[in-house]
Amino acid sequence: MSQVVLSLGFGLVTASILAIGAVGFTIQFGVTNLFNLAYGEIMTVAAFAAYLARTTLHWDMWLAMAVGGLCGMLVSLAMSRCVFMPFLQRGTSQFAMVMVTVAVSFILKNVLQIWSGANFYSYQLPPEPSIRFLGMVFDARELAIIGLAVASLLGLHLLFQYTRLGKAMRATSDDAGLARSVGIPTSRIVSAAWLLSGLLAGIAGVALAMDLGTFDSNTGGSFLLLIVAAAVFGSVGEPYGAVLGALVIGIASELAAIISPTLKDVVAFAILVLVLLFRPEGLRSGRVQLRGEVTA
Amino acid sequence: MSAALQSYVATLLIYLGVNSIACWGLNLQFGVSGVMNFAFILFQAMGAYITAVLTLPKATAGSAETYILGWHLPWPLPLVGAGVAGAVLALAVGSFALRPRRRDFQATVMLVVSIIASTLVVSEQGWFNGNQGLFGIPQPFAGSLSLLPAGYDWFFVALTAGVALLVLFATDRFTSSPWGRRLRAMRENADAAESLGTNVRAESLKVYVAGGAIAAISGGVLVEFITSWDPSGWGTGETFIFFVAIIVGGLGNNFGAFLGAFLVLGVFLELPTYLPQLSNSNVEESLQSAAIGVLILAFLWWRPQGIIPERRRKLSRLVPAAAREPAAVESAASVREEKREPTTAVTREPAQAATARSAELSVRDLHREFGGVHAVDGLSFELVPGQATGLIGPNGAGKSTALKLIAGAMPPSGGHVLVDGVDVAGWPAHKVSRLGVIRTFQHTSEFGRLTVLENLLTAAPGQPGDSIGGALLGRRHARPRQLELLEQAWALLADFQLTAHADTYAGQLSGGQRRLVEIMRALMARPRILLLDEPMAGVNPTLRLTIEEHLRRLRDSGLTMLMVEHELGSVERVCDCVIVMAQGKLLATGTMAELRRNEEVVSAYLAG
Amino acid sequence: MRISLGKRSPGHEPADAAAPALTVAGLAAGYGDTPTIMDVDLTVHRGEIVTVLGPNGAGKSTLLKAVLGVLRPMSGSVRLGERDLTALRSDQICRLSVGYVPQVRDTFPRLTVLENIEMGGYTLPRSKVKARVEEVMELYPHLRKIASRQGGHLSGGERKMLAIARAMMIKPALLVLDEPTAGLAPKPADELLTKHIAALTGTGVSLLMVEQRAREAMAISHRAYVMAAGRVVLTDRADVLLARPDIGDVFLGRSALETPRPPGPET
Repeated sequence: MSQVVLSLGFGLVTASILAIGAVGFTIQFGVTNLFNLAYGEIMTVAAFAAYLARTTLHWDMWLAMAVGGLCGMLVSLAMSRCVFMPFLQRGTSQFAMVMVTVAVSFILKNVLQIWSGANFYSYQLPPEPSIRFLGMVFDARELAIIGLAVASLLGLHLLFQYTRLGKAMRATSDDAGLARSVGIPTSRIVSAAWLLSGLLAGIAGVALAMDLGTFDSNTGGSFLLLIVAAAVFGSVGEPYGAVLGALVIGIASELAAIISPTLKDVVAFAILVLVLLFRPEGLRSGRVQLRGEVTA
Repeated sequence: MSAALQSYVATLLIYLGVNSIACWGLNLQFGVSGVMNFAFILFQAMGAYITAVLTLPKATAGSAETYILGWHLPWPLPLVGAGVAGAVLALAVGSFALRPRRRDFQATVMLVVSIIASTLVVSEQGWFNGNQGLFGIPQPFAGSLSLLPAGYDWFFVALTAGVALLVLFATDRFTSSPWGRRLRAMRENADAAESLGTNVRAESLKVYVAGGAIAAISGGVLVEFITSWDPSGWGTGETFIFFVAIIVGGLGNNFGAFLGAFLVLGVFLELPTYLPQLSNSNVEESLQSAAIGVLILAFLWWRPQGIIPERRRKLSRLVPAAAREPAAVESAASVREEKREPTTAVTREPAQAATARSAELSVRDLHREFGGVHAVDGLSFELVPGQATGLIGPNGAGKSTALKLIAGAMPPSGGHVLVDGVDVAGWPAHKVSRLGVIRTFQHTSEFGRLTVLENLLTAAPGQPGDSIGGALLGRRHARPRQLELLEQAWALLADFQLTAHADTYAGQLSGGQRRLVEIMRALMARPRILLLDEPMAGVNPTLRLTIEEHLRRLRDSGLTMLMVEHELGSVERVCDCVIVMAQGKLLATGTMAELRRNEEVVSAYLAG
Repeated sequence: MRISLGKRSPGHEPADAAAPALTVAGLAAGYGDTPTIMDVDLTVHRGEIVTVLGPNGAGKSTLLKAVLGVLRPMSGSVRLGERDLTALRSDQICRLSVGYVPQVRDTFPRLTVLENIEMGGYTLPRSKVKARVEEVMELYPHLRKIASRQGGHLSGGERKMLAIARAMMIKPALLVLDEPTAGLAPKPADELLTKHIAALTGTGVSLLMVEQRAREAMAISHRAYVMAAGRVVLTDRADVLLARPDIGDVFLGRSALETPRPPGPET
């Protein structure tokens, strides 16, 4: 039983990182209808940027995370402006765009590999004392990550429910054509979505690297599948569903790890496959029509 | 040539052979049928592992390898085993991975499966020896032939070539058969293909299985040459590289796939060995991989159809010159009408005479709701067999929905649809179409990258060569029927004055022409009940008259027709009887003249 | 058979003496090369409700699209007040004080009623939005009751009311409605026309409406145009038009102008 509770604790940390990443992914999908399989690489790039900030500028970890977030924003926007939008304007079908995103992820991953060598990197964070809480064990950093996730999600909630930009993003996500006709500058909203999702990817990437201890050029890409699983679980394009998906998958995978470490990844993937089979629109009321047009 | 050089050349050729086999398989799945198999490498790996397991002899005492069956099967049995294993795995994966309708979703599921499998194999030692993999696989005939190493390599080249030719033979037969054409139609517009009798899910699965078997065979040949196999050789990057190869070489055709195997997998990946060694072999590999990513982007941007695009099949030259004469066209037209059983009337007698043989359609208490809105709300009517019936009504009356329900494009929430007494409510579209119920679409749904003739031919039922087995029997098996159909199709084209565009890609025609192609295509499907969904929509007045004339002729030949139309003039000129729908229900029936005098009908129209 | 009573006649509701809100002259527009509508002249005066009627395929939605800038006119002109709209794109036109209520996809399904209305005022200066929302809610008090319900959860009639409210946020000079009662059951359709749309006359906005429910629409309109086969075949005051005995014929496809042309070479 204590093992279960302990795993629950690990699960919460994983779920927090997953939540940030999945929400970023889902926001971008919701607004652009594009499955960006290069999202994982945005996370990796951010992790490296934070690393640089620490090693060359000797900045504090949290400051470095901010750098990572900023880096994520830039890479995300660059991807959409320089690659995805031109391809879409050229008439590439939504289906063929997957190839484009995979190509970008391939390029980024390998360029990072060249630059970083096949080494593993670490932020060299000093070990922290553990804190016990309801049978779960955390260190201060992990609690901080959970706190960060909660704060980010809260911030996003406020953004979407109370600000004009947030509502405009939701409107564009709902119906871009109608949004345009009421005067919403949809192309700028789309850019904002890319920036926001890049920021979230960046933060998640750095948090992931912190949590894993070491990271390399493959780290983000491997995490992408968990993110996709979480995003699809709650219905792609629905941020609140992504959070639910993150919780379920984060905790389920850690619980499965009790039985066997391999099962950890397999459980998450199995959930994804099952959801896709029976409810391709995700668990929340399938109101989200997976639209044909891509806006990017 | 020195022995080393010989070995090297032979190795290149073997790799070319193996990669070609793999590319042909992927091309069948993706290039021809549009199935984006992001788990491709998994099948090659499966084939390699199974071949290894079947070829390895029993473990010697004290060896760490406890998983081997030790059967030590002679060539080519392990390859056959590999093919079977690949097919079975494809069946398993395809049965769930092909469920979502969005193809990028399908691709993601397959990618996930590929990664799980890789993770599992690495962690489960008992499966295929985890990360270490299998090694020491004996090469075919190695012991029995006393050849020098270089000589053996050439022998293996011959073996590979043999297998490659077999695979090429099969895939060529697939692609150039009526089945291949059906697959391409499915790629172009799955819904339209479904409405004309293609069970999209089943055919996608067949293609997935065939491609999976081919991929497995390629793995089998490869592992027998390199004698070892481990997870590092089959990551998701490998799948991507195969995709790059066939996209660069040219999708949808085997020569393009071969060229892609040669250029990308051969030249491009081999080239760096000639460049001065960089500090780190890892860097080289990454550079290569990044370059592949750039390469695919470049091609997707500038030449998405690849170096060798899918060739346009000019079927018009197969139509015998005699059949192209106007007189011959006339007789072919009447022959065509005769052949259309069982509703055909040999002469142009009034429709009543054909009643006994014309199909019956009746709808009873049909319901369909969307989120609380009752689009069709207890609709009941019976069509007079062999007559043309119009279905009119104000916007939102549920006419199009009713048509879709009858054709099986969507399931009803309740009620019955009886075709010659058989209740087809809830049947999938392809099944309903087999009974002769054919529907045209409101928005044109031509197969864009098939020629007009191909569009027409896809619709005709009963074509030898229209299945995997039939395809393998080759052109001669399919030819007689194909020629027959070509003549019929040509006659239709002549009727509609579109013979000049027989070999044009349907997607390149004007809107009105595409509408005509759709109607002709529906006619080629030998409908017994023809459901027309706003055939005059977006059609200019002159074309409208041509279409009306054809529809009248069909009516005269005894075809049961139901036409949804807003162009009431057309309805009046074509249909004997008209049904009015409003609010999802039947409001009135009669001739146009009668309906105009009907207060309720006028009111419904004016009241909306 | 075109009867045009000129701009005004005695007994007609008093309308502004200034320039008409919308003037369409000699408009031709279509998709591809051939025009779907030709030679269309149409006027909407300040504060008027003008309905365009006609069988399907007559070109009514093409006309609307041309006015809204979704389709580029092939010839002729479209003027809003003094402003020439002919060459402008749809997003530019919307900003020029033309409100649009489309036939489908007229609400943001996942935004609440209140948020939908707010989005309508996206182009307004932020300080004005709240006040304007209040004004619009005054127009349709029912919306206040359902303010926090999601757009996708509304009934058909409520959705249309919401769509109109949204479009009214910018206080448009011209409001264009594309078949507002499409898909509505008779009762809500009747209510929409006779109550909610009719209520707009007091606000000073001019309405151009395409409608299928001819009788009810004309009951609330000042004038109407009847289109068939791409042209305007009748125009008159609404009450006069409605009283015509042959109105049914016009709608059921028998119009004197609709004569089939002889077969010619196919396109």
